[in-house]
Amino acid sequence: MKPAAFEYFAPRTLGEAVGLLNKHADQAKVLAGGQSLVPLMNMRLARPGIIVDINRLTTLDYIVATPAALRIGALTRQRAVEISPLVAERCPLLRDALRLVGHVQIRNRGTIGGSIAHADPAAELCAVLVALGGAVTAQGPRGPRAIAAADLFVTYLTTSLDPREVLTEIRFPTLPPGAGWSWMEIARRHGDFALAGVGVVLAVRAGVIADVRIGLTGVGPTPVRASEAERLLTGRAPSEALWADAAGAVRGAIEPDGDIHASAEYRTHVSGVLAQRALREALTRVREAA
Amino acid sequence: MKLDGTNTLAAPVDTVWKMINDPDALRRCTPGLKELKEIGPDSYEATLNIGIAAVKGTYSGTLKITDKQAPRHYKIALEGTGGAGFMRGEGIVDLEAQGDQTVLRWSGDIQIGGLIAGVGQRMLGGVGKMLIGQFFKCLEQSLEASGETGGV
Amino acid sequence: MSTRYLGARVRRNEDPVLLKGRGLFVDDVRLPGMAHAAVLRSPHAHARIRRIDTRRARAARGVLAVYVHADLGALGRPLPKLIPHPALVHHKTQYALAADTVRYVGEAVAFVVAESRYRAEDALDRIDVEYEPLPPVATLEGAVAADAPLVHEDIGTNICAHYTQRVGSVEDAFAGAPHRFRERFVIDRGASCPMETRGVVAAWDPQAGQLAVWDSTQAPIPIRNGLAAMFGLAEQDVRVVAPDVGGGFGPKVMMFYPEEVLVPFAAMRVGRPVKWIEDRREHFVATNHEREQIHDAEVAVDAAGRILGVRTEFLYDSGAYIPYGLIVPIVAGTTLPGPYRIPNYHCEFRAVFTNKTTVSPYRGAGRPHGVFVMERLLDRVARELGLDRVEVRRRNLIQPDEFPYDVGLIYQDNAPLRYDSGNYPACMERALELIGYAGWPARQRAWRAEGRFAGLGVACYVEGTGIGPYEGSRITVEPSGRVFVATGVGTQGQGHLTSFAQIAADALGVAPRDVSVQTGDTAVFGWGTGTFASRAATVAGNAVAAAARAVREKAQRVAATLLEAPAEEIELDGGKLYVRGVPGRAVSLGEVAAAANPLRFAMPAEWEGPGLEAIRYFAPSQGAFSSGVHACVVEVDAETGMLTFHQYVVVHDCGRVINPMIVEGQIQGGVAQGLGGAFWEKLAYDGAAQPLSTTFMDYLLPTATDVPALEIAHIETRSPLNPLGVKGAGEAGVIPVAALVAQAVEDALEPFGVRITEAPLSPNRLRQLIAEARRIP
Repeated sequence: MKPAAFEYFAPRTLGEAVGLLNKHADQAKVLAGGQSLVPLMNMRLARPGIIVDINRLTTLDYIVATPAALRIGALTRQRAVEISPLVAERCPLLRDALRLVGHVQIRNRGTIGGSIAHADPAAELCAVLVALGGAVTAQGPRGPRAIAAADLFVTYLTTSLDPREVLTEIRFPTLPPGAGWSWMEIARRHGDFALAGVGVVLAVRAGVIADVRIGLTGVGPTPVRASEAERLLTGRAPSEALWADAAGAVRGAIEPDGDIHASAEYRTHVSGVLAQRALREALTRVREAA
Repeated sequence: MKLDGTNTLAAPVDTVWKMINDPDALRRCTPGLKELKEIGPDSYEATLNIGIAAVKGTYSGTLKITDKQAPRHYKIALEGTGGAGFMRGEGIVDLEAQGDQTVLRWSGDIQIGGLIAGVGQRMLGGVGKMLIGQFFKCLEQSLEASGETGGV
Repeated sequence: MSTRYLGARVRRNEDPVLLKGRGLFVDDVRLPGMAHAAVLRSPHAHARIRRIDTRRARAARGVLAVYVHADLGALGRPLPKLIPHPALVHHKTQYALAADTVRYVGEAVAFVVAESRYRAEDALDRIDVEYEPLPPVATLEGAVAADAPLVHEDIGTNICAHYTQRVGSVEDAFAGAPHRFRERFVIDRGASCPMETRGVVAAWDPQAGQLAVWDSTQAPIPIRNGLAAMFGLAEQDVRVVAPDVGGGFGPKVMMFYPEEVLVPFAAMRVGRPVKWIEDRREHFVATNHEREQIHDAEVAVDAAGRILGVRTEFLYDSGAYIPYGLIVPIVAGTTLPGPYRIPNYHCEFRAVFTNKTTVSPYRGAGRPHGVFVMERLLDRVARELGLDRVEVRRRNLIQPDEFPYDVGLIYQDNAPLRYDSGNYPACMERALELIGYAGWPARQRAWRAEGRFAGLGVACYVEGTGIGPYEGSRITVEPSGRVFVATGVGTQGQGHLTSFAQIAADALGVAPRDVSVQTGDTAVFGWGTGTFASRAATVAGNAVAAAARAVREKAQRVAATLLEAPAEEIELDGGKLYVRGVPGRAVSLGEVAAAANPLRFAMPAEWEGPGLEAIRYFAPSQGAFSSGVHACVVEVDAETGMLTFHQYVVVHDCGRVINPMIVEGQIQGGVAQGLGGAFWEKLAYDGAAQPLSTTFMDYLLPTATDVPALEIAHIETRSPLNPLGVKGAGEAGVIPVAALVAQAVEDALEPFGVRITEAPLSPNRLRQLIAEARRIP
């Protein structure tokens, strides 16, 4: 399991990195944490001729809070985000989802940007970004541009990023004050890819649901925002019966693939179960926050 | 892996038939096709660089069209081997006129073997379906671009 | 003689070196000028090789050689048959490199030697092979279907063996039986996945005419003998070393894997040492698998649930070849009776070729299957007759006063299956006590009232261990006082460097840490068969004990001369020898060793030669039978099919325990593997026999967070068949686990009416079973 030969560059500035990508276009791959790319290279499933190692771009390693969002540099290690007090305070959904990304050793090296750009259909971070309606910033030969989460994930392992762009920042909106949240997933073992995962944010005002977000992973080529279920829930009073209805709507919104671990039917069924449990847990947190 | 689907194309049957037999259209629309060299009637040497995102493999092999029943039916077979394994696909294509449009029904049996099958089982089915979808989308766009649509 | 160390929790001699990262595994072997090899493997499960063109590969940068079958000469014959059997009529083995047909994905087709593994893999890409795919046999049942493709065309069938074992008459038993229950059980393919994959390094010294091989194998001596025969060398001109081995579990006791022949061959041709290390993806296709069997079984009982007869007919998947013979299905069939009285028994199997990786024993080696069938049948009896499942078992258990108990079958060592000793009821009662069986119904009801589904399982087994043919040991005491114990069994994590040291230490009055145990080097000890079948402690252990006793007696005789006292009055303790009652006047063991090797003057005749050294062998006439009971409490999330283990108990009888800590480690590891086979591990294939789970992403080994901590209790019924009274412990942890989990999960899902007749399970499968059972609790 040794990779095919490649040329290696370790640029010191973002401009240099983009310049390399621009020059080598389809042949080049960005190396950040390497937790997905390097195994693919070792197995020779990926044979990029050019590796652009961005680990020296330390200016892309930051966690900054604005009133509306957490702005996280693309090179920030997943573990740093997971244990950040700022994240725990402003976007605990992100922290809870991160705890289930692989194992600590992987999170020590893996980056937030890397996970987003890799766009694994069972990735937790992508679903959280979609559920929260976040966005990313990418830098290309013609300068920076912003991409909303809803426009970012195209299909399996594919984003709308141009091969000449480097992801620079990911923006996770802050949870509304007093909101509850929950991340739940089913994985065969701790750290495995989720067979299905659900992230929920719930805000309740005057006894009815004012704001709800439901994002799913592992149930299709890209993360899914369960908008129908969100619409069904908004303005209604929380109840077990309502959660059951929401579960039905979630099931109706997805068409998962089956694989050797779980059939499409299983993933569909379990997505509904997880949605119910997550909504229940989110409501508990709403009440705790009150 | 058995896949199937139905596409409706905004062109009459004869036009669609011509297109799906046209090596230029095949060159343009087959995802990852790098080279298609005719070696005989309805028989081609093919080189593909196919996959998803960074996971791509080069496969060289053949593409053959058989069981031609113009203008409604044929079998298309593609097979190639490469470092990442091999792939073999056999598809049956049936065209049916529906007014000015054509309903294209396809069913295929795709076999992937070797390294990529042992590592990529999680996504192979989905990606396969997606690539086939890309093929038909490309055909659709080619038909529109060529202006050879049947009606308004 | 003291027994201070036998039975003690002595810290392991192996650990300081291993924990400091100073172990020597085969990949740590680095020789000057060493080249690296890679193997081109078939991507097809079944195909004709029309053409191989290696020109581009041979011209590639850094490539020293590329070999295909035509280059092998005399080595192009089929590889040796390891264990023939009269019923094995088609004993097919593979070639070191495929000749004209490949029969499984991963079969070796070409062998590249290059300056580095990187360059070797680059060269693999440049070998052009034209395959003509053939229809593959992808399933066990597909192999015996009327129109099945043939894995080996020349034999006209896929069935390579058909074998029956019988006791009494099942026909009569079933004819008259008040109750008969029939089930079909399906157990799926699995792999042992040792932490260290396989690897071979070979170096050829043309001046001395000697071959040195480092091989991550469980059986270095047979490998040495086989290589000598194959290469026309004297056995003493071939040295095989199994260095530190990171787990064996069965699949590393094969002879030969192609690479074990190709690496020495290449080293001789290329004139440089050659190393080949298997990567993990290769391991999933190129190292043997096991576990796939389908049983059609039936039990006949009387109204009280006492067994009148048991019958099973099963298919055994051997994969594409069968070098190791019929050990696994024979062991399955002879383990099935278990601790129960079975007056009439019929076990019939067909061993079958499929286009998948070759099969050979993996920890348990068929015992898990026998136990699965018997335990599930008993649970069916209990359910149908409305009896408590433990009570059904009690009524059928062989009692402590019935030993030796002749089951009436022939075991895998070709000796009668006769249980030497055991106390099955005691194991059972202890397990029930530890798991809280008496209070279980109330606990389960309380859980159910909360909408939670928990179940309890109890499963019993008897394990044949300690079989022959023999093992040996040479013990030497040097003038420094250090004791060296050499033996032919290899070590892959079982703690032999400690347990054998304990045995020698007791006899010689030294501490185990002053005893150096050497295993796995044919140059140090060249007689033995290998580490497999839970036999090392019993067979090699007793050889060590015999050699230690002989050295002790010699030391007493020499000391008697030195101390001018009768030999019978000489004690050994604390590294010293002295006359009983006069510890002040002592000689050290080292001084005795030095004195035993005089430079001048006549040597006393009663010394029978110089030095403190003895070689002894132990050849058991039959196996010794361990036994045990596992019990567990497991909770099933009925909506997701996920499991949580709340409690797991093991009561274990392996006769006299040499080191309880080591035995407990063996059990914990075995249970982890057993749980893998019960709920996580499954080698998946598509309809064309393409393997789909060749990484740990998809072949799921349970991790530390999935495997419960065990409560372990020991019961000791010593074996009367060997002086130490020991029995084997290596495989016990894995044997009843699949049966246990099936029973516990079925108990948990009883309100849904789920029935379990397969392994492994999964959350997906449990949801499916719940949905199909269609009963709402």
